[in-house]
Amino acid sequence: MEAAVETVYYIILVPMVYVAFAIFFVGTVARLVKIFREPKNPTTLQIFPEKEPKWLFGLYDTFLLPTVRRQMPVFWVFLMFFHVSFLLLIIGHIELFKEFSVFQVIPHEVFLGRGFVGLVLLLCLLFFLFRRFKSPYRELSVPEDYYLLILLFLAVLFGSQMDWARRWYEYGGMTVENYRDYLLSLLYLKPKIPSDIEVSGHSFMLVLHVFFANLFLIFFPFSQAMHSFFSLPMNKLRRG
Amino acid sequence: MDEKTRDDLLKLFQSKLNEAMRLYLETCTRCGVCTEACHVYASMGQTRYIAAYRHEIVRRIYKKYFKGRGKVWPSVGESKELTEMALQELYDAAYSCTGCRRCMVYCPFGIDTQTLMSIAKLLLVGAHAEPEVLTMLADTSIEKGKSLEFFKESFLTGIKNLEAEVVKKWKMEAGETPIPVDVEGADLLYVALAGAHSIIPAAAIFNAAKENWTLSFFEAVNFGAFVGDPTRTKLILERIINEAKRLRVKEVSICECGTAYRVMKQLSGKQPFKVSSITEAHARYIREGKIKLDKTKIKEPVTYHDPCQIARNGGVIDEPRYILSNLTNDFRDMTPDVRYNWCCGGGGGLVALGEDNLDFRMKSSKVKVDQVKQTGAKILATACENCHSQLSDLNKHYSMGVKVRFLSSMIADALVQ
Repeated sequence: MEAAVETVYYIILVPMVYVAFAIFFVGTVARLVKIFREPKNPTTLQIFPEKEPKWLFGLYDTFLLPTVRRQMPVFWVFLMFFHVSFLLLIIGHIELFKEFSVFQVIPHEVFLGRGFVGLVLLLCLLFFLFRRFKSPYRELSVPEDYYLLILLFLAVLFGSQMDWARRWYEYGGMTVENYRDYLLSLLYLKPKIPSDIEVSGHSFMLVLHVFFANLFLIFFPFSQAMHSFFSLPMNKLRRG
Repeated sequence: MDEKTRDDLLKLFQSKLNEAMRLYLETCTRCGVCTEACHVYASMGQTRYIAAYRHEIVRRIYKKYFKGRGKVWPSVGESKELTEMALQELYDAAYSCTGCRRCMVYCPFGIDTQTLMSIAKLLLVGAHAEPEVLTMLADTSIEKGKSLEFFKESFLTGIKNLEAEVVKKWKMEAGETPIPVDVEGADLLYVALAGAHSIIPAAAIFNAAKENWTLSFFEAVNFGAFVGDPTRTKLILERIINEAKRLRVKEVSICECGTAYRVMKQLSGKQPFKVSSITEAHARYIREGKIKLDKTKIKEPVTYHDPCQIARNGGVIDEPRYILSNLTNDFRDMTPDVRYNWCCGGGGGLVALGEDNLDFRMKSSKVKVDQVKQTGAKILATACENCHSQLSDLNKHYSMGVKVRFLSSMIADALVQ
């Protein structure tokens, strides 16, 4: 491989990952601290009729999106598939570091989901994206909304490619062991790119996956993706 | 707009930023679930009336001046400079919003459009671009609080003139005062509106229930809240709090006025008295057997319009229905239910603008008219002055053929001596 390409690969796979995670963690924590240190609203912001226990209904509103289910059932189905798949995706990545018995309650091969987690995410992302091309959502949208969807789409697409290649086309050039070596070396601050990864015909998939995932992580704390943290406290405000 | 004005306005913006406000400003994903929530959008179909679109008008200015992103990468969130044109947009967004908070029921995060619009309204006050009449009315209220002595005589004379009407509805023993004013140690302070219709039926019902009550010198309505000016809102509110404390009452009961009730209930803080809406007091009198109602007085089917500030935003939902079950056997509740009840289209100070926005108020409330018609009721009861005015306008404009009535006046007419 040419040295220049190798350097680019290295920058994306090592220093950029560190930078992305640093921005993600520091940015997210800073934003949470900033917002939750602000004074509380002097009056209640709840709506009625109220239901007890309020905290339980707050959780219900946050995780099952009953208002969306009532108003836009099709959108709700995609939203639920998307968010559940995203959760599975996070678990899948944690398992790429190490096997945890908690996650193996339902025994499965790493990466979980037989390739369908990524596929479902991609379909949902396409739905969200095309939905925004239509009025009145087009008029409501700002560039940020598209950037986020496109970034996620690209990151998931290249990530899924690697999964699909192994699962559906018996491609054996890159194994879970290779990923584990790479990710653990990053975690222990002794970065090393396994040669299997470097020479594999699929290595550019990995590089592109990591590149777009990095961009997503960098953008995350400054974007509306922060609703993952804000949704619960906001729903609690509404429930009183 | 010059630098100084903009800085002053941004300071006002800053003063509104607290935890909830920042959450509301920073979380919207513009998913558009709120699209069908606004009665204005549902009636008129223009995108600018979608809740999320209204939010963005405020949010773009927020992104520009209060977020790093607005400086580093302004286009990503379409952040926007605060200009005269922006003020115009803020006006259109804020004064086409009635603050009914129906969109809050739709939003997966529960973003409160009314609270966001309060920023727009405050900026307009700061730029002297708000509807002047609202500020004038607010200032009149405040002035009245400051120089009570000056108003006292004419107020008392006015009240005296109403007494005969009260006695017509409920006969009293000789020596009893039909409308007690300024009674120290009374149990309940009733805060009415400047209008006989808000005083006469209420007084008759209090007397029938043998309530130890007294009438407030002040009118309940808070124009400060309509115009979105926290300072004026507080001054107007404090007049009543001070009076209640001076008279050592146990309860302050607010007349049929949504904003007045919500402001008093939720903004007065911890006080030695409790706050109720007059509807709650009436339901209590019936429940405790203090008043008896004649069910045969009302012969036509009745429906009830829940005032947003009293029901969805204030929690008084069962009481009016309980009262109506004692007034008629033909009560027809509206669909959808109270959470999703359509606003009458007159809230947020809109109805106080009178003829100026009559056309908009009529066009934007088409869905309410349809909702009322669906019940087939002939009497449209409500418990809010604004709603009553707006519903009466709608009744006329759309030839709905209903009688719009205050709940309290229906009770007063059905009192059994």
